[in-house]
Amino acid sequence: MTEFLATLPGGLVTGAVYALLAMGLVFIYKATRVPNFAYGALAALVAFFHYSLVNGRHIGVHFNALFIHVGVDATVRLPFWGAIPVSLAFAALVGYLMERFVMRPFARAPMVTNIIITLALSVLFSALAQQWFGANDLIVPNGQAIFPRTSALSIGGVKMSWEQLGVIGLVLAFAAGLFFFFRFTETGLALRAVATDRDVASLQGVSVRRVSTIAWVFGSMAAGIAGVMLASLIVSSNPSLLFILSIWGFAAAIIGGMISFPIAVGAGFAIGTLLEVMRHYVSKADPTKFVGMPEFVTLGAVIVILALRPRWIFKGIREEQDSGVVSRASGVDLRVGRFIDPVEMYRLVRAAFGQVIPPRVWRLIKLAVPVLLVAVALAFPLFPLPEFWTFPLNLTLIYLLVILSFVVVVGWLGQISLATGAFVAIGGAGAYIGANFLHLPFPLPIVTGILLSIPVSVLIGLPALRLRGLHLAIVTLLFGLVVERAVLPRFSAASVLQRPSFLTSDRVLYYFFLACAAIAFAFAWRLSKTRMGRAFRAIRDSEVVASAYGIQPVRTKLTGFAISGGIGALGGAMLTYQLGSIQAQYGGVAFSITWLLQSVVAGITSILGPVIGAVAFGLFPEVSQGAVQAAHITFWEPIVASVLIIVIMAINPEGIASMARFLRTRVSAHDVEDDEDLDAIKSAASELKEPARV
Amino acid sequence: MTAILSVKDVKLAFGGVKALDGVTFDVPQGEIVGLIGPNGAGKTTLFDCISGYQRPDSGTITYYENSGTVELVGLPPHERVTHGIGRLFQQARMFPSVSVRDVLRTVQHRRMKVGLFRSVLGIAGAGAEERDVAARADEALELVGLSAHADKPAMELSTGMLRLCELAAIVAVRPRLLLLDEPSSGIAQKETEALLPLLKRLRDRLDATVLVIEHDMPLVMGLADRIVAMAQGKVLTQGPPAKVQAHPDVLASYLGTRATASTNGKRR
Repeated sequence: MTEFLATLPGGLVTGAVYALLAMGLVFIYKATRVPNFAYGALAALVAFFHYSLVNGRHIGVHFNALFIHVGVDATVRLPFWGAIPVSLAFAALVGYLMERFVMRPFARAPMVTNIIITLALSVLFSALAQQWFGANDLIVPNGQAIFPRTSALSIGGVKMSWEQLGVIGLVLAFAAGLFFFFRFTETGLALRAVATDRDVASLQGVSVRRVSTIAWVFGSMAAGIAGVMLASLIVSSNPSLLFILSIWGFAAAIIGGMISFPIAVGAGFAIGTLLEVMRHYVSKADPTKFVGMPEFVTLGAVIVILALRPRWIFKGIREEQDSGVVSRASGVDLRVGRFIDPVEMYRLVRAAFGQVIPPRVWRLIKLAVPVLLVAVALAFPLFPLPEFWTFPLNLTLIYLLVILSFVVVVGWLGQISLATGAFVAIGGAGAYIGANFLHLPFPLPIVTGILLSIPVSVLIGLPALRLRGLHLAIVTLLFGLVVERAVLPRFSAASVLQRPSFLTSDRVLYYFFLACAAIAFAFAWRLSKTRMGRAFRAIRDSEVVASAYGIQPVRTKLTGFAISGGIGALGGAMLTYQLGSIQAQYGGVAFSITWLLQSVVAGITSILGPVIGAVAFGLFPEVSQGAVQAAHITFWEPIVASVLIIVIMAINPEGIASMARFLRTRVSAHDVEDDEDLDAIKSAASELKEPARV
Repeated sequence: MTAILSVKDVKLAFGGVKALDGVTFDVPQGEIVGLIGPNGAGKTTLFDCISGYQRPDSGTITYYENSGTVELVGLPPHERVTHGIGRLFQQARMFPSVSVRDVLRTVQHRRMKVGLFRSVLGIAGAGAEERDVAARADEALELVGLSAHADKPAMELSTGMLRLCELAAIVAVRPRLLLLDEPSSGIAQKETEALLPLLKRLRDRLDATVLVIEHDMPLVMGLADRIVAMAQGKVLTQGPPAKVQAHPDVLASYLGTRATASTNGKRR
C-alpha cells in the first residue's frame, strides 16, 4: 500500500500535465470547433524559445550598403521569470498568425481538413523548433526549473518536490481560472455562445471572428505556459515527446467530449495516474517483458469508454454525414494532389478534346502511362548512377506502399487513420518472426508479415465501426503510439534479419521490391474498379446512402482496414529486409503523420498519388541528402511539405473543379440552364412511356 | 387487397417528445400510398423506422415477401435492399464525388456475388458480372436521359438531375417497395408538375409499390391511390385522396383552425 501511495505523486503530476493539455485543447475546440493537433508542438516551440532566452540567445543583424557595413551583435539573456512575458508574447503572436493566416480560410471546413491542417502545423512547429534551436533535446538544469526541485514534503514515504507541488497547483489554478472565465466574463459568455451555435451566436451580435482570434491567442499562450512547465518537469524534452504527451491530452479531452472541462481534467488525471502507477510496477517486475504494457492497457480503457458512447462524449462533437475527404459544400477537401494528379489531368484534357481526338488514341495514352512507368522503373538501376542512389531507390518503392496504404484507407474508404506506421512495424516484426523463429524459406516471411497485420488491422478497424473523424484519428494515433512503445523496443538493432544469398546486392533486391510493389499496385488498382472499391467510395461519401443500397458498413470498413494494413505490412517486411533490422524511426507515430501529410500533397485519392509522393518525398530528398551529405538541411523538408499543404488547401476551393466545369461547358455546351432540369424530367418521363423492356 | 407492408402500433419517443405515437396502417401491394402531414408529424421518423435508421420503442413493421414475411424492426438498414426495399432521401445527394455512371454501378452492390479476390483477379465470372452491372447502369441512365452526364461527378449535377440520377438508381436496383421522401423537395414548381407523370411511369415500369412522403398537395393527390394523413405522431385518417382531402381533421391540421386544438384535446 505504501508502495502504491509512493507512486501516486508522480502519477498525479503526469495527470496534471495531461489535464493541462486537455484544457487547452477543449478551450480552442469550444470556441472554434477545431481539434488542435499542433498544440504539443506549439508548446515545445515556446518552451525552446523560452529556454533559449534564459540561456542567452545570440542575435546578429548585418547590413551591407554602399560599401558601409552596419552590424549589430548582441546576446539576449533574461532571468527565468523575466523571460516569461516575452515567451507569452511570442506564443500569442504565433497563435494570432495561426488564426489569421491558417485557420480562418478553413472556418467551415470539414473535421478531416482541420485534422490534416493542424497536423501539418504540428510538423511545421516541431521542424521550426529544431531548425532554430538545434536538434538536441531541451534539457532544463536544476537551476532553471520553474520551481525548486528540492523536497517539499514527505508524509509516510510519499515524497513530493516543490516543482511537483507547484505544477499541480498551477494546473488546478488554471482550471479554476478557466471555470470563472467561462462563467462570469463577457468574453467567456461569448465563447460559450459560439460553442453552442456559431450561427445563432453571430446573429445575436457575437463576433465569431473575434472569439476565434481570442481563443487562438489565449489557447496558444496556455500552450506556451504548458510547454515551459513541461520542459521543466520532464527535464529533457523534445517536440515529438511533447506531441506524444498531447495525444494523451487529446484522449482526456475527447473523453470529456471536447467540451467539458471538469471531465477532461478528471480524465487527464486518471490517465496520467493509471500510466505512471502501471509503469512503476512494470519497471519493478520486468521492464523488457512488459514494455508498452501501460500504454496498451490505457489505450484499451480509452477505446472502451469511447465505444460505449456515453452521451456526453458525442454531444459536443460534430458527427458528420460524410467523411469530408472529398468535396463538401464548403469546397475544402483533401484532394490537394489533384493539382498534379495525372489521372485528373487526363480526364480534364479528355473532357476538353474528347471529340477531336479519336478514342483509339485515348486508349493508347491510357496504356502508355503505366507502360512508361514500368519501363522507367525497370531501367532505372541500369543507368550508371552513383552508389548513393541504390538505397534511396529501394526505399522509394517502400514509401510507395506506405502512401498506397494511406490512399486505400483515407482516400478511398474515407477513414482518417494514422496507424500505417504501426503496420509497417508489424510487417517488419512479422517478417522477423517468420524468418528467425518459424525458420521459413525466403519469400514466406514477407507473407507472415502480411498475415500478422490482418488480425491487427481488424482490431484497429473495430473502433472505426463506431467511431469516425476525430475519434478515429485519436484512437489510431494512440494505437500507433502503443505499437511504437510495445512492439518496436522488442527488436533491438541486434535482431538481424538475414537476406537470402541471392539478394545481398541492393540492385537485385530492387527488382524484387519492384515486383512486390507492382503486385500491390495492380491489386489496389483492380480493387478500385470492382464492387468493393466502389463500396469504399460510397462509404466515404455517405454511409447512410450507401447502406440504403445494401452496402454493409462493417464488412466494407474492415476489408478496407485489412487491405490498407496488409499493404503497409508488406512495405514494413520489405523495409526490414532492406535495413537488415527493425528500426524505430520507420514505423512510429511521427512516421505515420509525416507520410499521411505527404500522401495528401501527392494525391490521397489517386492511384498515381503514391508514385508522385514516393518520388517527390522519398527519392528526391534521400538522393539529395546522399549527394549533399548536408544533414543540417533535413528539417526544411517537413517545413516545405506542411506549408505546401496549408497553402494549396487554402486556395483549393474552386481550383480545378471550376476549371473542369469550364472545359466541359466549352466543348459539350452542357450549360446548366434554368430550364434544363425541366426538359430533362419531361424527356425522362416520355422515355419511360415506352413499353418496358425489362 | 394484399398488403406488402404493415405498420402496427409503432411508437418512438425522443426524450419527452412522442415522435410516433402508435402509428398503424397498411400499404397495399401495387399501390402508391401518399404520406402527408404538417412538419413534425413524424413522417420522416416513420420512414427512418421502416428503413432501419431508427429503432421504434415498440410496435412491429412487417414486410410481406413472395416467399414469406420479414420483420423490419431490428433489421440493419443495408439488409433491406436484398428484400427489395429501396429508399430515396429528402435531400438527393447520392455519392457526391463518384461519377454518375459509377453511382449506378455502386447501387447494384447487392446484385453482385463474385467475391473480393475473384473480382480483383477478374476470374470466375467476375468479368461477365461486371459487364452485366455496367449494362444495366447504362440502360438506366439512358432511360432517364442522363447519359450525357455519365462522366460527371454526382456533385456537379443540379438538384433536378440528381433526382433523376436517384430514380435511375431505383430503375437499376428494381425494388418491390419504394420509399420516397419528398421527391419534389428542392425542385422548382414546374418541374414538380413534370415529376408526376415520371413517378407514375416509373412505378408502372417497375411494377413496384410506392410509399411517398410529399408536401406538394397537387402532386401527391394526383399521384397516390391512397393517402395516409399524419399529425403529431398519429394517423389522423386514411383512404382515397378525395376523401382524405376533405376530412376536417386534415384541413384543420394543415390550416391550423381552432378545431385542431379542441379535437386533438378531446379525442386522443
